[in-house]
Amino acid sequence: MNIQLYNITKRFGDVTANDGISLDIRAGEVVALLGENGAGKSTLMKMLFGLYPPDGGAILINDRETTIESPQKAMSLGIGMVFQQFNLVPALSVLDNLLLAYPKSPFWTFRRLFRTSPRKAVLTYLQELAPGLAPDTLVRDLSVGQRQLLELVKVLNLDAKVLILDEPTSVLPPQEAERLWGLIRKLAEAGRSVVLITHKMQDVMACAHRVVVMRAGRMVQTLDRKQCTESSLVSLMMGDSNQRSAIEVTPREAFANRPPRISIRDLHARHGAQSVENIRLDIAPGEILGVAGVSGNGQHLLADALVGLTPLARGEVIIDGYLLQSASRPPSTSGRVSYIPEQPAVNAVAADLSLTTNVALSHFRHLSFFPAWAPEEQLTRNIIQRYQVRPDNPALAAGQLSGGNLQKLVVGRELEGDKDLIVAAYPTMGLDAGAAHDIYQALFAKANEGAAVLWISEDLDDLMSYAHRIAVLQGGRISGIFDPRECDRLDIGRAMTGEHQPARTQRPPEQKPADPRVRAAS
Amino acid sequence: MTNATQLPVKLGLRLLRGPAGAVLVMATIFVVATLAFFAINGREAVSLFQEMVMGAFGDSYSFSETLVKTAPILLTALAVALPARLGLISVGGEGQLYLGALFGTGAVLAAVDQPGWILMPLMLAGAMAGGALWGVIPGLLKTRLGVNETISTLLLNYVGILLVSFVVHGPWKNPNSLGWPATIEFPAGAILPQFFDTRVHMGLVFGIVAAIILHILVTRSRWGLGLQVSRSNPRVGATAGISYERNVLIVMAVGGLLAGLAGIAEASVIQNRLQDGLASGYGMTGFLVAWLAGQHFLRIIPLSVLMGGLLASADSLQLYAQLPKASADILQALLFIIVLAVASLWGRRRDI
Repeated sequence: MNIQLYNITKRFGDVTANDGISLDIRAGEVVALLGENGAGKSTLMKMLFGLYPPDGGAILINDRETTIESPQKAMSLGIGMVFQQFNLVPALSVLDNLLLAYPKSPFWTFRRLFRTSPRKAVLTYLQELAPGLAPDTLVRDLSVGQRQLLELVKVLNLDAKVLILDEPTSVLPPQEAERLWGLIRKLAEAGRSVVLITHKMQDVMACAHRVVVMRAGRMVQTLDRKQCTESSLVSLMMGDSNQRSAIEVTPREAFANRPPRISIRDLHARHGAQSVENIRLDIAPGEILGVAGVSGNGQHLLADALVGLTPLARGEVIIDGYLLQSASRPPSTSGRVSYIPEQPAVNAVAADLSLTTNVALSHFRHLSFFPAWAPEEQLTRNIIQRYQVRPDNPALAAGQLSGGNLQKLVVGRELEGDKDLIVAAYPTMGLDAGAAHDIYQALFAKANEGAAVLWISEDLDDLMSYAHRIAVLQGGRISGIFDPRECDRLDIGRAMTGEHQPARTQRPPEQKPADPRVRAAS
Repeated sequence: MTNATQLPVKLGLRLLRGPAGAVLVMATIFVVATLAFFAINGREAVSLFQEMVMGAFGDSYSFSETLVKTAPILLTALAVALPARLGLISVGGEGQLYLGALFGTGAVLAAVDQPGWILMPLMLAGAMAGGALWGVIPGLLKTRLGVNETISTLLLNYVGILLVSFVVHGPWKNPNSLGWPATIEFPAGAILPQFFDTRVHMGLVFGIVAAIILHILVTRSRWGLGLQVSRSNPRVGATAGISYERNVLIVMAVGGLLAGLAGIAEASVIQNRLQDGLASGYGMTGFLVAWLAGQHFLRIIPLSVLMGGLLASADSLQLYAQLPKASADILQALLFIIVLAVASLWGRRRDI
């Protein structure tokens, strides 16, 4: 099956997400759609998958113009898409999830009677791609990589000839990404086309035949992978954003001998089925401690515990020698601990209240009983101006801002004043590159002023570029602490999946050779 | 010249498209529905409707009776609207009202020989404590065990009503009442002050003052801001140091306290004693009024008067036109459905 996108244009309001893009997708070929967040890659593919109608241009399938008005139509044409957010029912088994997504499933649920055909049909690809995976396993017990595989099998079951994968490696630890690359190559060899939406060079270099670079809604260039180098791709992808001011991070030596600003001692916390255990970390003033890990390994709980949203079950958090909180002592809201979570609309603001109100929340306890709003509004205006929040009206409800603008406002609010500890959990998730850049810049500048930063991220590349040290969370415990200058991605990857030798996990972190800083501090 | 004539027309049209138009439509539909209801009953619809309006607002006596009914509606509506500001749906006004009457009467019976200046504050304090208790229990159930507050307040209504029934049939029954299940008459010192030789009593003043204070607190104060934040996003509230749990207890307690005042006012002024069927349905009417007012404290005041008028006129309809007592409930339900339907249709149309 050959697909031609011809001169596709898509606008959202004033924003042109895709501007006259033409692209061929041929059978047996892996096309990498490369670009930063917000470059328009996903939008283009969502039009091919029937989620948005294009505003202009045409889609030709086997040389015939075709309108794809719904995902159902796309699937009937043999186009399948695997999204970043998985669409699985965690409480059901692998088999049930596959049957749910299979159009020819029986209406009845007593499968013993109808056990024959759909079950076999549905499991063929699963056995081929993941021979070890039992169909009766519950999806909630699967790893992220296995879930992704399951999504892929769902799409293959629909007889998809064209597979669109949206940032498939962003959720995977490095070694699972390698497995996926192999799988993608295999699918292409079997005659399918794969479109790989990505912003990572490794993905492109590992398995693409052809690279399509997009930037700000336009197609910059199409290249044969063999002709291009990583650095040439980076400059094509970044374009003028190369001129963005570099993010400055003070080298670690500057504070290597200072006493820690924050000491986390033997921290245990539990929330529902999640738990974090035995967390011991010291962070020096000015230090950026990155936290890596496959999502769902206790990152959120660690952040919540540090900022006092979840009570500690054991242990204590000490700031500059003073006890901030312990299991027996709830945290004092001193205002010197900041929290920048992901998805600010859900986690950081009251969406139906004004920007001014939301900014005032950072010092709620210090407002007078009948708050004076003029200074709060002035403060909000200052933040809006300094962090270039758009639209710039402080009376707007927070929910009316885009994620990037809202996160800038939250960052402005949280970094206002003197801060001892800044906890940032996936602060740039879902934001475009420009907004992410601004947020990193503000965050790390605050570290330079002497705050200790604990920065949880899914993006190993970002962590390796900016963090002074990287702690890896696995199963709620710290499974390794790395110096990004002295380790490679696979070391971290092994710690993320807990694959490295068990002796190391059981040793208390102070004795870890990979972590000279902790010993020096304590 | 054309401008001068067009401007008022334009203004009028804009008003009609806004809330004023909605109210006009609601009123029209309600009047038509009421007329139809009378006609179905085989009555002279228009004259009966006039009778009804006169029965509520026609002369100073009927207006005073309207205000007598306004007081408990207003207080129980506040008891619903305050929790609603935190996103809680309480239907417990009725039970809180009964508990207020129960505890207030308990205080009166315990200190029945004391002079008024001791008895009256004791009675009011008891009433407030009783109502607040019946608010705090669902609040605790919600914050500690995650029990849905709508269900628990609904069920506690029955417990409250039956508790009152128990004491007036049993321990607190007046031995001289010839088997009539009621307590002894309240002494003069336990009768709330009344105005202008009517039955209009202090309860109305409590309600209006409470509505104004709550309005100011909720819209202007830091505490009110905390309620808004907690309602919108409890997690963010917690980060800012606002305890959702504590606020749940506060709004439920304060709401219950107000409904409790309504209960003791009914017992003290209207009945002079505690008895069964103390205030059947005021709690539910208050719930309707709170929702009609969109949980807005100041709007609750006129709406309570209107609803009080409806109830008062139903009494006179029953008396003069021999319509069944249930007519009041039917008209009340009609009003509620019409207002909610028109409001949501109006809102939807405006969104488009």
